[in-house]
Amino acid sequence: MTIAATGLSAMRAGRTILYPTDVEIRPGERVGLVGASGSGKSTLGHALVDKLRAQGAHVAHVPQSPDEALDPLRSMAFHWREAERARTLAPDPARQQTLFNALHIEDGDLRKRPWGWSRGMQQRFVIAMALIGTPDLLVMDEPTSALDPVVAAGTIDLLDAHLADRDTALLLITHDLGLAARRVHRLMVMDDGKIVEDSPIKRLLMAPMTPAAKALCAHRNWLELPC
Amino acid sequence: MLDVDQVSVRYSSTVTLRDVSLSLAPSRTLAVVGESGAGKSTLINAILGLVPCPTGHVTWDAKPVRKCRPALVMQEPRSAFNPRMSLRRSVKEPLRGRQLDEDRLARLCSGLEIAPDLLDRRPAEVSIGQAQRVGILRALIAAPPLVLFDEPLSALDAVTQKHTARLIAQMQREEGFAALIVTHDLGYAAAFAEEIAVLRAGRIEELTPARAFVDAPQTAYGRTLRDAAFALGAFERVA
Repeated sequence: MTIAATGLSAMRAGRTILYPTDVEIRPGERVGLVGASGSGKSTLGHALVDKLRAQGAHVAHVPQSPDEALDPLRSMAFHWREAERARTLAPDPARQQTLFNALHIEDGDLRKRPWGWSRGMQQRFVIAMALIGTPDLLVMDEPTSALDPVVAAGTIDLLDAHLADRDTALLLITHDLGLAARRVHRLMVMDDGKIVEDSPIKRLLMAPMTPAAKALCAHRNWLELPC
Repeated sequence: MLDVDQVSVRYSSTVTLRDVSLSLAPSRTLAVVGESGAGKSTLINAILGLVPCPTGHVTWDAKPVRKCRPALVMQEPRSAFNPRMSLRRSVKEPLRGRQLDEDRLARLCSGLEIAPDLLDRRPAEVSIGQAQRVGILRALIAAPPLVLFDEPLSALDAVTQKHTARLIAQMQREEGFAALIVTHDLGYAAAFAEEIAVLRAGRIEELTPARAFVDAPQTAYGRTLRDAAFALGAFERVA
């Protein structure tokens, strides 16, 4: 079933930060949402998650930093149980093992609190929690920016492999077109609270139409910057 | 010329830098890359004299490095400033009471694309990109021969990162300072440094010209870093 939300908008301090926006994502589709800092990407991500949940869809959200998702005073086992309870699922050690294996955190000690795990492992744990019960849509907001490149690349590769044969759609929110270009089928470009361009990744990279998309394309690759 | 000679640093029982040696000439750029905990920030602290180096020496033109008054550009632009002071007052601090050369300030502001009235604001009243450009201005105001950059772009978005990197390179051409850049972004290192030093567990694992590093790192760990940067889209083509 295609995921669709219409009329998403947001205001803050009397100013419109997200103009009315419609989003449609097909099952299993990988969509990138890119734009500069302050363009409204995360606001759209939150509005989309709220609206879809209100419509009864199963949507998981992975924030930029694991600190936003994990309580430093609670054990990792507590977080896992809470995530299962949120989906009204009974504890299932086999499901837990499958997800932990997929994200290479099977050696993590669940009795420890988040700070007993490395940040890379914490972020993978948050992603594993998000994948409990196979969501219709996984929204990831800058999932790699708090991580080292080696850990970040490994995490994204593991997630790619896990999602490969599933119907879970992915919305990847990032300021980095270089990252999105390698991971998504379709790209939405945001500028000043509006989606200004929405097209398949190849077409967007070949022929960006708007100034925001042109700027992102021109600054995509460190070794080929415009003069 | 910066000369780091066999420097080791220990925090309690943990050795964070082991026999690190490197040199850096004026107008040249060296990027130090590596994972968290590799000792990148400790290297900066050791060069600035902020941590004691029980063994080894850090010198600039054969004198203790602090005599050349090196400057530092920090990672988090806004928190690098006193929030209660105007940016202009913060920018003047490295002059230590000496008269501000208004012509130099105007020239640097124009090179760094800082509007003159921006300096009258406080850190919270400017964007992160603007704050980082002012951070670079503050580092350069006293004309230091050596500038250390600790992850100068990681708080910025992708387009602003590349724009700021270009401004830094342009200022370096005009001012001639030596730049030591600590970063985890291999794309930035490859595009703007002449040499890349790979730091791992406190040791320099390899020291390679930047473009050669992208094509063929000398060590297995160097290849791991290069491949991760490629997987994250920092560059498009790799040999």
